[in-house]
Amino acid sequence: MLIPISWLKDFVEIKFPLKDLMWKMTEAGLTCESYKKVGDEIILNVEVTANRPDWMSIIGVAREVAAIQGLKLKKAKEINLPKKAANFPIDLVPNFNLFERWTGIVIKGVKIAPSPKWIQERIKFMGHSPINNIIDITNYVMYELGIPMHAFDYDDIFGQIMTPQLAKGGEDFTSVDNLNYRLPKNAIIIKDAKRIIDLAGIKGGLNSGIRDAQSDKDATKNIFLHVTINNPVLVRRASQALGLRSEASAIYERGPDKGGVTDAIKRALSLILETAGGEIASELVDLKKERFEPWELTLTFDKLNQILGIKIDPKEVVRILAILNLAPKKSVKGVDCTIPTYRADLKIEEDLVEEVARIYGYNKFPRTIPIGQVAAAKIPYYFDDSFILNLKNLMTSSGFSEVMTLSLVSSQILDMFEIKKENCAKIINPVSLDYEYMRPTLIPGLITGTKMNTEERVKLFETDKIYPGESYKLSGVTKGVSFREFKGAIDLIFEKLNIKELEIEFDSDKPYFHPSKAGIIKMGGDIIGEFGGISPKILSGLEIKEDIFAFEFDIASLQKHERLKRFRVVPENPPQVEDLTLIFPEKTRIGEVIRQITNHQPLITNIELRDIFRDSYTFRIWYQDPKKTLTNLEVEKIRKSILQKVKGKFGGQTKV
Amino acid sequence: MQEEIINTKNQAIAQITSAADAKELEEIRASYLGRNGKFTLLVKKIKDIPPEKRKEFGMTLNESKIAIENLLSNKKHELIKSLTEKREWFDLSIPGKKPNVGQLHPLTQVLADVKKVFNYLGYQIANGPEIETDYYNFEALNFPKDHPSRDTQMTFYLENGKILRTQTSAMQGRVMERMKPPFRVLAPGRNFRYEQVDASHGFEFWQVEGFIVDKDVHLTDLFGTIDYVLKELFGNEVKLRFATTNFPFVEPGVDTYMNCTICGGKGCSFCKNSGWSEIMPAGMIHPNVLKAAGIDVKKWNGFAFAIGLSRIVNLRYQIKDLRTLTTPDMRILSQF
Repeated sequence: MLIPISWLKDFVEIKFPLKDLMWKMTEAGLTCESYKKVGDEIILNVEVTANRPDWMSIIGVAREVAAIQGLKLKKAKEINLPKKAANFPIDLVPNFNLFERWTGIVIKGVKIAPSPKWIQERIKFMGHSPINNIIDITNYVMYELGIPMHAFDYDDIFGQIMTPQLAKGGEDFTSVDNLNYRLPKNAIIIKDAKRIIDLAGIKGGLNSGIRDAQSDKDATKNIFLHVTINNPVLVRRASQALGLRSEASAIYERGPDKGGVTDAIKRALSLILETAGGEIASELVDLKKERFEPWELTLTFDKLNQILGIKIDPKEVVRILAILNLAPKKSVKGVDCTIPTYRADLKIEEDLVEEVARIYGYNKFPRTIPIGQVAAAKIPYYFDDSFILNLKNLMTSSGFSEVMTLSLVSSQILDMFEIKKENCAKIINPVSLDYEYMRPTLIPGLITGTKMNTEERVKLFETDKIYPGESYKLSGVTKGVSFREFKGAIDLIFEKLNIKELEIEFDSDKPYFHPSKAGIIKMGGDIIGEFGGISPKILSGLEIKEDIFAFEFDIASLQKHERLKRFRVVPENPPQVEDLTLIFPEKTRIGEVIRQITNHQPLITNIELRDIFRDSYTFRIWYQDPKKTLTNLEVEKIRKSILQKVKGKFGGQTKV
Repeated sequence: MQEEIINTKNQAIAQITSAADAKELEEIRASYLGRNGKFTLLVKKIKDIPPEKRKEFGMTLNESKIAIENLLSNKKHELIKSLTEKREWFDLSIPGKKPNVGQLHPLTQVLADVKKVFNYLGYQIANGPEIETDYYNFEALNFPKDHPSRDTQMTFYLENGKILRTQTSAMQGRVMERMKPPFRVLAPGRNFRYEQVDASHGFEFWQVEGFIVDKDVHLTDLFGTIDYVLKELFGNEVKLRFATTNFPFVEPGVDTYMNCTICGGKGCSFCKNSGWSEIMPAGMIHPNVLKAAGIDVKKWNGFAFAIGLSRIVNLRYQIKDLRTLTTPDMRILSQF
């Protein structure tokens, strides 16, 4: 909202220096962080929050500026209106669901002309172009008092009857700006005897607007000026459906001052008679179901002190409420206030607490730490992320860098990775088609991520949710790294979590994994996840030439199978360590070989694959008995049983 | 016989004197005094000496042995001393071979810091769904349907009628309905808002929501908590000032301005030349929110706040473009 200072000064004195005033306004909730200079005029830029429609006006801001400075508003000039000079008929059909209040008056014999300079100037300060005296005045009063109004050409109201109703949807409507619209269902419209003349709360109709003399028509001579309090929800919905907003509709959505309607229309009337001439030609019609009057609200000292945490002197409380125009009456228990109609936001006692605190000044309050109980029981939705942090640290130790990618992905990427879209959560109103679905896996984001990196070796990981189930996954991707190095990170995780007895299925059910170089890891019947190469088709589609390996594990499954380690006493006697080179036939599962060697063999405390050359594999084996040093004979016995097993199950043998 | 002893002794003296290092000295010691050492063998020869000459032989042998032992000891000390005092060239400046470790994402690091701070204040972590209902995301937080207050948080809709949560405040209703006060909750999480993507805006962003419900919770406690948290995260010299603001779910509402950590308050592009940046919107929980969750507002009240995690990363590392945080580029990530 733009606030020219000279206009503000019509209502309140400005005593504070500008920068101080701006901060004080911001501190009190009327954020004012910038201004611009137009010639000699300073125009403040204030941000109005949704709860203070009264600030969408010069007078509303003036009241606030007065309260902040501890001043009263300047005395308002009395408006004396002449009696009516004629009786032009106008039939307003009430509909309190659409117009909670409807005030209007007819003026005859006006002269349409450009507005006086001072009005034109102020319209321009507000960022608009002046049109003619009548239209400018309706806008002028809206800016000044925060109540929108509209003037119709009286002679264009066919049948002198106006009926507010809901649009059926699809009707054609041409606005005063000469733009054509298809009306949405349930927009509030006004019809005269024949046609739609107004899109209430948003824009007037071209067919009934105030006009200058034109080639085929005379200028408007008689006008009907009205103020309506429109149903805010219907205005908002229509405005959104049309994508059409006006300053008036913005005020209507928040709710203009229902009790200030007659003052507004009188102000407009007085300005019109002054600048366009004319005479009043009807009574001031005022259709309403209730009287819009101030209401009572009490603030108790107990509540105030309890919420604030400090005791403000009751005299100061009264002073603040008085300067806010809330007519405070002090009692022993608190202060009884009378809330003016323009403060529809003051409904409960807590609202008054905020008024006192914000004018008193938040920065005067001490800063304390709450004394109270810390709950011993776990809260609902309790989440301990130490397991995930542990996984992250294991990944970084293995040289992987953590990334975060977006949760929303494109239909294109899902197609490229051959992921079925029917199972994915789809957004009806995406920001763009690049972000239409919620990712069902972290892998596509990571793989496309490797493309950004031109280094030879890239290792990335991510731990986050997939959708729609919102389960947490740990995914890692490598580029330009050997399979054994990639798998090393996975082995490290299972080792540190002490998860043993894994089964690897040499097959993956995910279409984006390599048909023969990927598989599933299972543990006790649970699927932990998949790992391995990525389908060459996808890599080719992404124009990735290097080796890519990826894995994705379900974190809850990992956590379920984590086991605590038991400490093993370090034996005093040293182990025997020897290298054993074995040759295996093609397609031997070396992981299985190692598992078989150590199976049922407690005296083998460690085994590592040290070297691979063609079909020969060199293992380093540690033999150790915790109770004594093994003799060469005992080691030989174990070695013989290894060779037997290896030959029998896998056809492996030592070099001859 | 005496001659042999003297000769052996002189040999030993010569070798010991010219020994170059401790290793060589040890070899010399072993060759004379070890199991098969020359002096040891001489001792064995005593039985070949006629009895009247044995005493003399033994004495000479002993004297020689002691002399050699002393010399060995002195030489050892001498060698150690010269080794200690020796000045030789050693290049300490040569670059080491750094191990290839990865790093955690800055959001992970910042989140861990935030959690640590709230740990001290007794907050527990709650984690809830990102796919939410309109009820928890708006209605339970006192945003009426069809109200302009919702305009500040434009929403994504899913086909099944659910929405993507626009604020982690949605956790307030979820927790409050299921637990009796008192409690202190920290709920970090991802939110989604319909926004066009540019340097300062994205449609996905991270927030940490916090709220406490207890007896006699004061506005001063809220100011104090914000003060404590921001000083822990940004340093004790940080200056704060509070302003009034409005959200439907708090009353009074509080906004916090922190002096810009980038320019120290002088004014820069980060803080739009004001010297201050807005951070951590907060307020006393609106009674309607407590009532919606079934909490007796006569007995209990509380406060709530939210911190933008991306904002903290922004301020801490001076990252101007938020899109940097979701870009998996090693040139970015390796800087953390």
